[in-house]
Amino acid sequence: MTPEQHTAKAPLDTDAVIDQITRFVAEETRTAPDADQDLFTTGLANSMFAMQLVVFLEQTYAVTVAGPDLQLSNFRTVKSMAALVGRLQAQAAGTDV
Amino acid sequence: MSDAPVPGHRDVWDLVRQDAGAWDTAGEIPRTVLGELGAAGVLCAEVHKQYGGLGLTSRDSGELTAHAGSLCSSLRSVMTSQGMAAWTIQRLGTAEQRAAFLPQLTGGRLAAVAFSEPDAGSDLGAMSTRAHHDGDSVVLDGSKTWITAAAYADLIVVIARSGDGAVAVVVPSGTPGVRIEKVAHPMGCRAAGHAQVHLEGVRVPAANVLGGTALALPFLITTALAYGRMSVAWGCVGILRGCLAAVTEHAATRRQFGRPIGEHQLVARRIAELYASERIATGVCREAAEHWEAGSPSLVISTVLAKHVSATQAVQGSASALQTMASAAAVDGHVVARAYRDAKLMEVIEGSSEICQLELARHALATGRTTARKESAQ
Repeated sequence: MTPEQHTAKAPLDTDAVIDQITRFVAEETRTAPDADQDLFTTGLANSMFAMQLVVFLEQTYAVTVAGPDLQLSNFRTVKSMAALVGRLQAQAAGTDV
Repeated sequence: MSDAPVPGHRDVWDLVRQDAGAWDTAGEIPRTVLGELGAAGVLCAEVHKQYGGLGLTSRDSGELTAHAGSLCSSLRSVMTSQGMAAWTIQRLGTAEQRAAFLPQLTGGRLAAVAFSEPDAGSDLGAMSTRAHHDGDSVVLDGSKTWITAAAYADLIVVIARSGDGAVAVVVPSGTPGVRIEKVAHPMGCRAAGHAQVHLEGVRVPAANVLGGTALALPFLITTALAYGRMSVAWGCVGILRGCLAAVTEHAATRRQFGRPIGEHQLVARRIAELYASERIATGVCREAAEHWEAGSPSLVISTVLAKHVSATQAVQGSASALQTMASAAAVDGHVVARAYRDAKLMEVIEGSSEICQLELARHALATGRTTARKESAQ
């Protein structure tokens, strides 16, 4: 969970990312969410699960979800998480060059 | 860690071993001891080397925490606070903030994290301390209660509401408007510097707001607490190790009815229970540490489990230890007497046992399985 951690290869395909996040949520909640479903208002996610989502994204996509990105809006739906991953990967690619 | 030397000067650790009882009775650890351990990087041992830290892994840091906890839970509590402050800065802060604050925490300055309020304990969502921006400053008003190590702290990471969200603000304790009021007679970890922190129009630079922006309060709390819970869990392992050392020596040498008391079966059972408690607590802490080191999402639940199980075992084990040693340990300051009091406090702080149980139950109900997640899908 250290921000510097890079453990996995990063897939760039958004549909695949949505698929993987959906599978993780399903595994942890026994409910497969729609990509647009609000995980918090529909009772699938709470603050502990939100933290699991943060660590899951970091481990799976080798990104760092730093302080300013720890906004509930980034984790509200599977789609918003996929968008966050896309943005963080783009940023990381930008700084690597 | 078991094979490696303990970080920090040996003389300081000898002093901790020798004086922990007196510190407990006096309700204070000498500032020089904390400063020296802080400057050796021991109080927040996971801080990276680039910031002057020891850069220990979760497991090695845990073993170090247990070592401190076996000698003095008050010192270990100070480590928990310092480590949690460092972790919060590392996790939420910008690169500039890490560079500004972390070297202070590995250089001998002390820190605390202020969550709890008189009306916001387990229900941290009810906190009312507020931060508002005013030009290049942020101004804090409110009261925090039972803040571990606040009586020693040079810097206090204050969690406060801001707009619809929350902020973590690094507040130098010498800032005008900060008033620290020590908890007079805590029942456990008596020298850990628990204090109320009153904030009245406390103005600090906006650059001290970690991450520079308001975050979701639940994220902020779970982030900071995760480190604190691991630290408390390992501290409980330490409590059990301290008890085991004292009890086994006593039971092997103290003779009643013509033989060492450890040979009496009812006493032997206590020793077996204590031994089992130490192994159980160590097991759950190691599993959680593995999840931290692997960056696995399972770390979230395994941390709650480690805290809850270790605290429960520490309470049971220290009670067995006190019963076995009887009058030999029934004196304030004795390592087992301290363990008995300190362990109880561990069931209360950093998420009470009941709060941890609610989280564990929620997880079990949601997943229908254990904390271990299949990593094969990665």
